[in-house]
Amino acid sequence: MAGSEGASGRRSPLALVGRALVAVGFTGLVALFVRLRGTGGTPSHRGGWRQLSVQDLAAPPPEGRAAEPTGA
Amino acid sequence: MVGLGAVGARSARLLVSAYGFTGLTVLSRRPERLSGSLELLGEPGAVRAERLTHSRFEACLSRAGVVLLATPAPGRHWASAALAAGVAVVSVNDDPAEVRSLLGLAEGANRAGVAMAVGAGMAPGLSCLMGAWLVRRMGRVDELHVATLGTGGPACARRRHAALREPAEERRRGAWTRRPPGSGRELVWFPADVGGADCYRVSRPDPLLLGRAFPGLQTVTTRAAASRRDRMTSWLPMLRRPHPEGALGAVRLEARGESGGLAEALILGAAGRPAVLAGTVAATTAAWAAQGRLEPTAGGLAELVGDPAGFLAELIGRGVVLQEFEGTTPAPTW
Repeated sequence: MAGSEGASGRRSPLALVGRALVAVGFTGLVALFVRLRGTGGTPSHRGGWRQLSVQDLAAPPPEGRAAEPTGA
Repeated sequence: MVGLGAVGARSARLLVSAYGFTGLTVLSRRPERLSGSLELLGEPGAVRAERLTHSRFEACLSRAGVVLLATPAPGRHWASAALAAGVAVVSVNDDPAEVRSLLGLAEGANRAGVAMAVGAGMAPGLSCLMGAWLVRRMGRVDELHVATLGTGGPACARRRHAALREPAEERRRGAWTRRPPGSGRELVWFPADVGGADCYRVSRPDPLLLGRAFPGLQTVTTRAAASRRDRMTSWLPMLRRPHPEGALGAVRLEARGESGGLAEALILGAAGRPAVLAGTVAATTAAWAAQGRLEPTAGGLAELVGDPAGFLAELIGRGVVLQEFEGTTPAPTW
């Protein structure tokens, strides 16, 4: 950008704006790359919430499950 | 009662209106500020406010069935005095340091033959009860994962702010580890109206209390929903005063284990205003403690409540909506 410098060595305002735009553009490209490269997004999620009643809480565990906690 | 914030007010109202407590005394360092709150707690004179001093506290103990500590301030001094007088204690404080301090009073509780219930709020509290019920229901549970969204009153909001900057202690593969605060992002689906939210590790005592109750658990973690701003500003003082009370919140507990040789996951949740959920749990715990229905030692609700199904049923009767997730959800990374 030597050509954009005046005789006094000062850069013209237009050159500074150009450099700023290049920097912003480059940052945007990097951000875009990082966003697209990520494995994010909303994971699949099927089903819903069912309200529990007092009877649900008192019901015995389904067959095949131990009555006593083994986590204890 | 010591303290009458958002959670304390909900507890007091329930204790008076639903459990028929009479002569409820609220001790506060600034009782003159409670007159407005007292008017909402029932008949005039149903709840009395007095200045919190050692002599007033001792005087109240002589006719108390239970002491409910609903204050963010350290309560070991008051709890210790209550246990020495043979009075059960219930604390809603969710600061891990405070919980550890109160758990250290187990000997006093054993000697007095009364309960010292620690962490009797939404999380810990309701989360511990849901964990205890799921552990009894499932054949084998290896992992419990707690997630919360929202805060109760200003003290709760300040505590959550601190919890986002303190290292999170959790149980992982049978060993206790300290993880960086605000790490471990996980998209968590809360009950119905709340929906999904990104949750991060926080310093909460749920793993400590659940790990004590069920030493065979391999992994116990706790996370809280937080925005990018919450995490970025957690190391600063709070930038603005917290709201008088938080809006809709939720607690969710996921249990992973085995049943019939197959991997299984059960998820329970509850949505509502956190102060209402915490206040309901605290009041019910206080009522059970006064009736001698809790184990006479110090611990979380998973440890002290021998009948979690009965306790949860009572919460449903008091308006708490418990929900179970039915469907498929991706395996979390926690």
